[in-house]
Formats: sequence, C-alpha cells, structure tokens
Amino acid sequence: MFDVFKAMLDGVPWTIAVTLLSFTIGCLLGFPICWLRMSPFRVISFATASLVLIIRSIPPIVWLFFVFFGAGGGLLNLSPIAAAVTGLGIITAAQMSEVYRGALSAVPVGQYEAAHVLNLNARQRFVDIILPQMLRIVVPSAATYAISLLKDSAVASTIGVTDISAVAYQVTQQTFKGIEVYTTAALLYLLLSVPVALFSRWLGATLNTRISK
Amino acid sequence: MNELLGLWWEWFPDLLQGFFLSLQVTGVCLLLGIPLGLVFALGVSAPNKAVRLIFLFVVELGRGAPALILLQYFYYGLPSAGITFSSFTAAALALAYCTGAYTSEIIRGGLEAVASGQREAADVIGLNKLDALRFIIVPQALRIAIPSLLGFSIIMFQASSLCFTIALPELVSRASAIGSNTFQYMPVLALAGIMYAVVCIPATIIVTSLEKKLGASSQT
Amino acid sequence: MSSVSPVSTAAPSVIKVQKTEQAFLSLKGLHKSFGPYEVLHDVSLEMHKGEVLAIIGPSGSGKSTLLRCINQLSPPTAGSVSMDGVTIEAGCSSSRNDLVKLRRRIGMVFQSFNLFPHLTVLQNVSLAQVRTMGRSKRDADKKSLELLDRVGLANKAELYPARCSGGQQQRIAIARALALEPELMLFDEPTSALDPELGLEVLAVMKELANEGMSMIMVTHEMHFAETVSDRVVVMAEGRILEQGISREVMRNPQHERVVQFLRAVRDR
Repeated sequence: MFDVFKAMLDGVPWTIAVTLLSFTIGCLLGFPICWLRMSPFRVISFATASLVLIIRSIPPIVWLFFVFFGAGGGLLNLSPIAAAVTGLGIITAAQMSEVYRGALSAVPVGQYEAAHVLNLNARQRFVDIILPQMLRIVVPSAATYAISLLKDSAVASTIGVTDISAVAYQVTQQTFKGIEVYTTAALLYLLLSVPVALFSRWLGATLNTRISK
Repeated sequence: MNELLGLWWEWFPDLLQGFFLSLQVTGVCLLLGIPLGLVFALGVSAPNKAVRLIFLFVVELGRGAPALILLQYFYYGLPSAGITFSSFTAAALALAYCTGAYTSEIIRGGLEAVASGQREAADVIGLNKLDALRFIIVPQALRIAIPSLLGFSIIMFQASSLCFTIALPELVSRASAIGSNTFQYMPVLALAGIMYAVVCIPATIIVTSLEKKLGASSQT
Repeated sequence: MSSVSPVSTAAPSVIKVQKTEQAFLSLKGLHKSFGPYEVLHDVSLEMHKGEVLAIIGPSGSGKSTLLRCINQLSPPTAGSVSMDGVTIEAGCSSSRNDLVKLRRRIGMVFQSFNLFPHLTVLQNVSLAQVRTMGRSKRDADKKSLELLDRVGLANKAELYPARCSGGQQQRIAIARALALEPELMLFDEPTSALDPELGLEVLAVMKELANEGMSMIMVTHEMHFAETVSDRVVVMAEGRILEQGISREVMRNPQHERVVQFLRAVRDR
C-alpha cells in the first residue's frame, strides 16, 4: 500500500502544475473577455457571448485533443503539458469571464454613480471603488471553479501528461492493485482541494473584514 | 471547403453512432443518478448522526474525485477485486455515482428551500414523516431543483466524453480513432465538437432562460 | 403584579379540578424556552367543550407559542396538555402514540395559510383524509367538496392555490383542517396576513363555525371579533396570562394595569 502511495506522488507536481498554470491563464485572460462581453457595441458583445457559449459547450477532452493533435500535431508541435495548459486555460478564461461579469453586475449601480459624482477618473473608479467590491464576490466562485478545474485537469492524462490519473493508470497496469491505486488517487485529489478551499475562506474573510472596518 | 464537407459526410454516420451512445450513457446515468441523489440528500439530512456522517463521506468522495478517476475505478480498479463490468456498465455506474453525489447537493438545496410552514402544515394534518416527504416536501423540492438539475445534465453529457478512457466507443472515441487512422485530427475533432455544441448550446440557452423565469416568479 | 411564583413545582394543582364539569382541554404549568429565552412561563388554562377562546396581547407575548404547544407543534419544555383523557407530559418520549391521537383531534389554521402550492385546492383538502383516515379517494373528494361549498369555494376545487386570493386561501385552509373532523380548532392570527376586506370573509366563516358549537382557540388582533364572537378572552404578556374572563367584561373593564394599557394602545390605533 505504501509503495503504491509513493509511486502515486510522482503525479502530484504535474497535476498541480496543469491546474495552477491554466487557472492563472484563465484568470488573466478572463478580464479582456469580460471587457469585450460587456462592450457597448452589440456586435462585439454578442460575438464574445457566442464564443464563450461555444467554448463551454464542448467537452474539455475535445479541446485538449484539438490543441494537441490538431494544432500541436500539424502546426505548432506543442508538448503535452503546453497543450493541456492552453486548452484548459481557454476554457477557464471563458468561465472566469462569466464570473467577473456576474460580480460586476452585483456591484450596486449607486456605487458607480457615487464614484462619478466624486470626480474620480475611470481608472480610479475601477481600481479604488469597483474592483475591491467585485473581488469579494469573485473569490468564492473562483475557488469553487479552481477545485473543479483541479478535477478536470485529470483529462490531461489522455494526451500524455504524467499527472495523478496517468500514474494511477500505469501503476494499475503494473501491479493490478486497482482498488488501492484509484482510492489513493481519489484521496489525493480530495487532499489537494483542501488548501484551495481553506485559502479561499481565508481570503474571503480578509476581504470582508476590510469592508466592515 | 468542399473537401472538408466530403470528409465530414464520410465520417458522419460513424460519429453519429458514437453520439447516440454518448446520449445513451448520459440518459442511463441520469436515470440512476438523480434518484440516488435524492437518497443521498435525505441521508445527509438524516436525524441520526452516524447515518449522516456515512452519507456525507459518500457524497464528498463522489464530488471530490474527478469523474475520470471514478470511471477508471469502476473499469480498471474493481477487476482486481474480481468484479468486472463491460465498459458501458462501468460508465453508467461511475457516472451515476458522480451524478448522485452532485445532484444530492442540488436536491438538498431544494429541500431546504421548501418553506418551513409546509412541514408544519403536513404535521398538523397528521401526515407521518414519510408521507410528508412523499406528498409535500419532495415534489416541491424537485420542482425548485429542476433548472439546476437540467444544467447539471448538460455537464454530464459533456462528461460522458471521458468514457473514451475506458474504451467505450462513444463520440470522442470514434473521433479519435478516425483521427489516428487518417491523421486528419482537426476536421474530425471539429465535427465532434459541433455535435456536442448542437446539443449543449440550445440546452444551455433554454436552461438559462428557465432559471431567469423561475427566479423572477419566486420573488413575487 | 400578581405574577405566579416562578418556582416550577410540577405539582398538578388539585384545587383546580374542583369544577362541576371535567375540563375538555386543560393546560397545566406550561413552560417553553428557546435556548436562554423563556417564551412561556407557567401557563395554565382550561376550556370546556364548545367554548370559544380568544387569546390577545402585545406581540412577543407568547400567544402563538402557546397555541403551538397545545398541538405539540413546538413541544413545551415543561408542563402537560390534556384533552379529553389523553395527556401529554413534557419530556416524556413514551407518549408518541398519544401525540398522534391528540394531533388527530386538533385542527390548525396558520397565519400564512400554508396551503400546498403543488396540489389543487381539492387535493389540498383530500390528501390527509386519504392518507391518515383511510378514506377512499372518492369519499374524501366528496367530503372535501362539501366543505369547500360550506366555505363558499366549491367552484375553486380544481384550481391551484396560487390562483386564489389570500382570503380564499385561508378559507381553503379552514376546510382542509375541518376535513379531519377535529374536536378543537386552533387559529393562529388567521387574518393578520390579509387585507381587512379579505379578512372579513374569513372571520365570517369562523363565526359560523363558532355558532355551530366548535371548540375554538384563536390568537387574534381583531378586538371587535374577540369581544363579540368569543366566550372568553385571555390576555397574555411576557409569556404569562395576565387576565382572563368573559369577553365583554375583560374588554370593557380590565383589572390589570398592563391590560388597560394594552387595550388603550390597540383602540387608539
């Protein structure tokens, strides 16, 4: 049982890497997408909304294959991890843009108006007034999404990233201890999601106390 | 362009079979999984603490483990204990468990959203606990949960693509097989993607509008 | 202040049973606490069959809680509830069977109606008859229609509650309670959630019920109704009964200073 566990640990850094990198890309890329989505030009906002809907309507595994075998094989020659991070990063960006949009619309109109009345410029209005309030709403949804991304990252194993799932498959084929292996794998994923949940709770609490002060 | 359409025309029948199998797996897993979710939801809110903890563990495990791991657990893991399933059965059972774990949270939310006055009213007209659940609480809870359950069904349809990893010849498996035979990955994956989108896009739009409508009516 | 000594000796007072007639309902030394908050403090009360009791008093005085203690919707922390031979002692888990027996004979109408929104009006009234009284669906529906007719709503039988006005919903709730042929009806502020005009149609139904000899206890803010329809008025404040007696006497000539204040405040409104 301990051997199994030790072998499984080899997959952990890859799972973390795929999750962290694609989450970072998604969080950053989500901003411009959200901005386009909320554009006053109907054509742009409609096109962005359609793109986001299309991205979310196709399973992650198809996107990963598309990036890895399609773009990677023919044009770019991406490594498995690069392909996985690109594919999951794009999906995350689409999801996060919606999270941002929801948070923006949850900030009361009165806050925008008040910021205007105080003669703050556009940058100040956003950075000083809107962003802090928005973050408070974003953090819990982002954390929930990060945990589901951690689990979705298992699909990276299908294009050859040696993450927890890939190692689980290999070890099972070698040892035939399938039950131990997959139970360990499930527990590892569960364990990895705990720090995310705790961090989100801590961050949420910090942001909240700052507001109530 | 004509060349692409020609290829698609050639592959379409094969992919369509995979598409129907994907739908089938999804249907079976929802049919088994949602009732399971109701059982989990009731178990998690059971008065007995031991029962509650057991159900909580089962639900958290199902929600915490990736669907891919669950699928492989049923297909590659259980045979080491002498339990062997066909890939379809393994897929249906694993995804049903996954569905049960996730929908139990949705249904529990629905159960909690039923006004407490409804329980009291059931109580004073003398219905026993089981009758109160069956005739009063559960029907209302499910009604509240419907939009979220539909939204989750779309996610499960997408998750059925993971059955590729346990050799179920569903849509992604067939697309990937064609890809590796012809090296025409881009066009075949694009067609498979379109076939998923054809179901998921309208379904998402319908669910979103349903959510808005019910959300608006519940506020009055 | 003539408050009863707070020492809760659970002694069933022998003196009180000296009445010529055995009480139909009797509450003895009821206490109810929610955590550190004592909502009912040593409340004892008796009523006879066919009597109509109105409980009035400022909000937060424990009126609704008292009502809910009677049918054990929120079980009292101490004391006992007896009805026609069945006694429920607080804290005795053994009387589960008695609890069902007691509940079966008590109907209740809520402030917020609590009709089942996913069932038609007819199903609302019929469900419990079929499930708890063993009536066939046909007999239950027949009985339900009679009762709906009695509250003037037979034409609404096939509608869903949401399609009915508040006053209609409350009358349906009364029909639902009556369907189980209760011997005692509890009304918890049945008109408080209604516009005055809609409240009147509910009060009319209640008045008719009282005239037919139904034993009733109602918590109400309708002072005129309390005075004219009920036989006896019970005034509560801070979880105690301050005063009780013949309706007209209590309303016209209250003895207790706190009651004088309360009635003046209500009348000046």
